[in-house]
Amino acid sequence: MNKNYIILMGILILLSAGLLVLPLKNNSKQLDPEVMMWDIVQPTRYVSTDEVAKMIIEHDPLLVMVDVRSAEDFQLFSLTNAINFPLDSLALDDAKSALTFNKRNLVFYSNDDLKSDQAWVIAKRLGLKNIYVLKGGLNRWIQTIIQPEAPLETASEAEFNLYAFRQGASQFFTGGSISIDQSPQAEVVVSRKKKAKAVEGGC
Amino acid sequence: MHVHELNPKKTMITMIIFVIVIIIGLVTLSKPRLNYAITPEETVVLAGSEEGFVYPYELEDILNKTIDTIVLVDIRNTFQFGRGHIPGAENISAVELISKENIKRLEALKDAGQVVLIYGNNLVEANGPYMLLRQIGFDNVKVLMGGYSYYKVWKDKLGDTYSDDSYFIGNAQYDYAEVAKRSSVSKNDNGASEPKAHVAVERKKKSKAVEGGC
Repeated sequence: MNKNYIILMGILILLSAGLLVLPLKNNSKQLDPEVMMWDIVQPTRYVSTDEVAKMIIEHDPLLVMVDVRSAEDFQLFSLTNAINFPLDSLALDDAKSALTFNKRNLVFYSNDDLKSDQAWVIAKRLGLKNIYVLKGGLNRWIQTIIQPEAPLETASEAEFNLYAFRQGASQFFTGGSISIDQSPQAEVVVSRKKKAKAVEGGC
Repeated sequence: MHVHELNPKKTMITMIIFVIVIIIGLVTLSKPRLNYAITPEETVVLAGSEEGFVYPYELEDILNKTIDTIVLVDIRNTFQFGRGHIPGAENISAVELISKENIKRLEALKDAGQVVLIYGNNLVEANGPYMLLRQIGFDNVKVLMGGYSYYKVWKDKLGDTYSDDSYFIGNAQYDYAEVAKRSSVSKNDNGASEPKAHVAVERKKKSKAVEGGC
């Protein structure tokens, strides 16, 4: 037998022995901390309550709401079609496989944005993609969508439009009736040219 | 019978290529500069604990120099820092904090038993950087509750914040189910329901000094 073969074999056996000293857990799938810090400082992960309300009303097929509050709180109240993954009892491997939707947008929410932000940091580390945080959480959801505050009379038109949208959204989410004071419109008098017998010519 | 055995030179070439490929593989095996020191499960535990949160009233002792084991770091941008900051704070943005030099410095501070207290405009703004620094092993990093916006309001009476609750976040301000139901019954009374009267918050016992990391 050729001596080179023996050397080749020797190298292979040595390398396979090297496999034994490799760390048990392969952490390479986790996001590099350096990349993560760049993502953390970006405010792009926040979506506003208005954006989420719009997506829910339009039945956005890509939207998945993830409630990170406790199961009891979730039972009492949750957003439309939300799924519950309590942050403290998070079995991470299960959560990761359950939350890995292809190309879907996950929006985490909690009472405000502390717990959801923490969940976001952990999910990000686990390599989940397209994940967002509901800015202000349920507290702001109530303040802006369920009980929107009327803008001042001097507010811009955009603010009035937003208010109109929120009123509609409030009705959508609570099924309630909203009395919008519609002051009876003044009758518009249409002034009309007198009917002329014949088409008069120009000058 | 193999062809190689007829030509020893060919085996030699194969072997050299084989070895070169392995060497290239080993050299290019990139190792990230920073590594996680705790597992994701431990991070979940970290998220559930308030051990790394510093209460605004604790700031009083730090500012009076009663404690000298604290390094204050403002992670907001230079513009915001320039408009006002907590006296004695250094301005290092979150991304700069993990630069090579600053990691070395953080390590030195950790070895010296110094606590690094970071703050942003509010707690949530500093929460991400705080959690990341903890995850890469800096358990001497703490974060200021309420952030700068709270400090700015209370800076002359920090001691009084012991009996103030407004910097506690994470609690429900409404009984959501109740509010949603009420809205559906009558929206006409225009009744913006009052926030829950009082949310009971759990509070650490007041201690004179900010205790060091574990």
